[in-house]
Amino acid sequence: MIKQISSKVGGLKNLIFIGTLLVLVLVLLLDIYLVDQILEPLEYFYLFFAIAAIFYGIYPLYANRRLTKYYWERIKRHRLSVFGLAFIVFLIAVALIGPLLTQDPTEVNFQEKNLPPVGLTIQQSVYDLKAEEFVTQETPGTWQHPLGTDDKGRDMLAMLVSGARVSLQVGLLATLIAILIGTIMGVVSAYLGGWVDMALMRFTDVMMTFPFFLLLVFIIFIFGPSLAFIILAIGLTGWTGTARLVRSDALSLRTREFIMASKSLGASDTRIVLRHLVPNVISSVIVIATLSIPGVILAEAALSFIGLGDPTVTSWGVVLNAGQRSLDTAWWVAVEPGIMLFLTVLAFNFLGDGIRDAFDPRSQL
Amino acid sequence: MKRGGLQGYIIKRLIYAALITFGVVTITFILLRVGPSSPADKYLANMSARTQDPAQVIAAVEARYGLDKPIYEQYVDYVVNLARGDWGWSFSTSLPVIKLIQRHWVYSFQLILLSMLFSASLGILIGVYSAIKQYTKTDYLATFFSFIGISIPNFWLGIMLILVFSVQLGWFKTYYDTGLPLFSLANLKALILPVITLGTGMMAGYTRYARSATLDNLRKDFVRTARAKGLPERVVIGKHVFRNAILPIITIIMFDLSGVVFGGAYLTEIIFGIPGLGRISFNAIFAGDYPVVVTITLIGALVVLFTNLATDIVYTWLDPRIRYD
Repeated sequence: MIKQISSKVGGLKNLIFIGTLLVLVLVLLLDIYLVDQILEPLEYFYLFFAIAAIFYGIYPLYANRRLTKYYWERIKRHRLSVFGLAFIVFLIAVALIGPLLTQDPTEVNFQEKNLPPVGLTIQQSVYDLKAEEFVTQETPGTWQHPLGTDDKGRDMLAMLVSGARVSLQVGLLATLIAILIGTIMGVVSAYLGGWVDMALMRFTDVMMTFPFFLLLVFIIFIFGPSLAFIILAIGLTGWTGTARLVRSDALSLRTREFIMASKSLGASDTRIVLRHLVPNVISSVIVIATLSIPGVILAEAALSFIGLGDPTVTSWGVVLNAGQRSLDTAWWVAVEPGIMLFLTVLAFNFLGDGIRDAFDPRSQL
Repeated sequence: MKRGGLQGYIIKRLIYAALITFGVVTITFILLRVGPSSPADKYLANMSARTQDPAQVIAAVEARYGLDKPIYEQYVDYVVNLARGDWGWSFSTSLPVIKLIQRHWVYSFQLILLSMLFSASLGILIGVYSAIKQYTKTDYLATFFSFIGISIPNFWLGIMLILVFSVQLGWFKTYYDTGLPLFSLANLKALILPVITLGTGMMAGYTRYARSATLDNLRKDFVRTARAKGLPERVVIGKHVFRNAILPIITIIMFDLSGVVFGGAYLTEIIFGIPGLGRISFNAIFAGDYPVVVTITLIGALVVLFTNLATDIVYTWLDPRIRYD
């Protein structure tokens, strides 16, 4: 019985994966309707992401150690992409551990506003209560706020750490949603063909006609900004490129001998799609996923920069917005989050280029 | 190529464009109706200080927007009104939306046009040059800077430009001056920072594409032939390589509109306070002014659709090798 079902969905691994997801959805529903929300909706996203990463990222890498080593050797030759990877690992560590070590990023302290980063001293005009007039005072940076503070006295380091967390959350989760939808659309469209293909591809064309950022702003305007919803919105609008790529890959695979062979041996459609088509398009999907993460991170930063982000989280865009308001008094507030954003985007671009070269058997390194 | 084939192709493309327009309009309608808030809520938030009975306001607004009719009638109204050019009333500016658009589109247009000219000309020039000088220091430098240009968030670049050139050096105003006549040197100067902000990322992209397209063509047999028969290098590069490399770049420039350019222009207008469509949409969002936001989203989609259509048709003229069946 189990054997039959598992062969239908393309192997025991997929069956366990689908089972785990069903349990997760069940827990989510229980949590929403019976118990008083133990976990936030966003945390279910994480669980989902973690499960998918274990089943389709870590486990296959562990099972095929020889192949893993081969890819790693190829990526390693692209030196910039190793730097990119190192920075991303560093950023993930900061996002996970940082919030425990830094103070609350939302803590306001007007006594210590506009402090420069450590090692810098600026002239600041301060109101002297005794003399009852404004006096110019030397303000040095302190080790208590190594990266300075903004115009409300919030600690820059704490805000940057919080921003790293938000950016990675959005970048990884929204991309995951986008490539999931894109892969399903592309594979289904290519495999079924006919009017299904026509309908799905015309829908993709319509979605592609909308300028990405305008559509995003429009959706956030209608549905309201919350971090979970922003992630969902980026995921639901950003799948079109993946769908097209996967479709063209799957179309060329569909007529190959090994698919024909398993079809003539009586394999079901689901089995062919899950066991043969999906694993063979996965490398292009990984490449396009890595290369689309920077765009997603930038989209979230831009949204929160113009004030359409989640008002309850401190993201780099929010800090940048505060920075633009105090350019003439505290330039570091605008400079620091921008540098983080820039380095993050650069790191993902480098890594994406490296992975693309490593996965492309035609490229000679 | 048969003449009829081309005409048939153009007609097919036009019908296709009409279908896509229909799809775009339908999706905005669905999103508006599925959304948790209605125009009435936003109205209510604005009116609450003045009116007595919220229920009456809701009823009045719903009747005004036709929200009390059955859903299919609403849909027909929506499509018909859009087609007739009746794009609604912007209550936050007390103007018909079409008037508002007529007043402000030119600011977006000048910004996007100048940025595209700046980034395309410079990007293609650097890309082709760096391909000809492949593996030299110039080439590495160009590649390095194009990587930085692609990764730099354009809204941050804009703020940094303001910080350095407006706040510290005082060469430019921190805000775009709207009082200037459009065709004047002062206006051009006011647009320098915004154009660099929007154009840098695009330029970096075009540099990369131009470089790889040129490199592809440099290895082709017809280039070797041209060199072998003793043509001067200037003619080989200008006529044989450049003309073949330019076509895919044009496609990419046109395709960029939907992704990079509109999003970038939206943010650039907000940073510099340029009163273009992005800025108008931004203001309308915070005022809860539905018709303006919807119209500007639709205009964005339509501009993308028609530039793509135009590119396809211009292609038939630029590249006679393409066949259309």
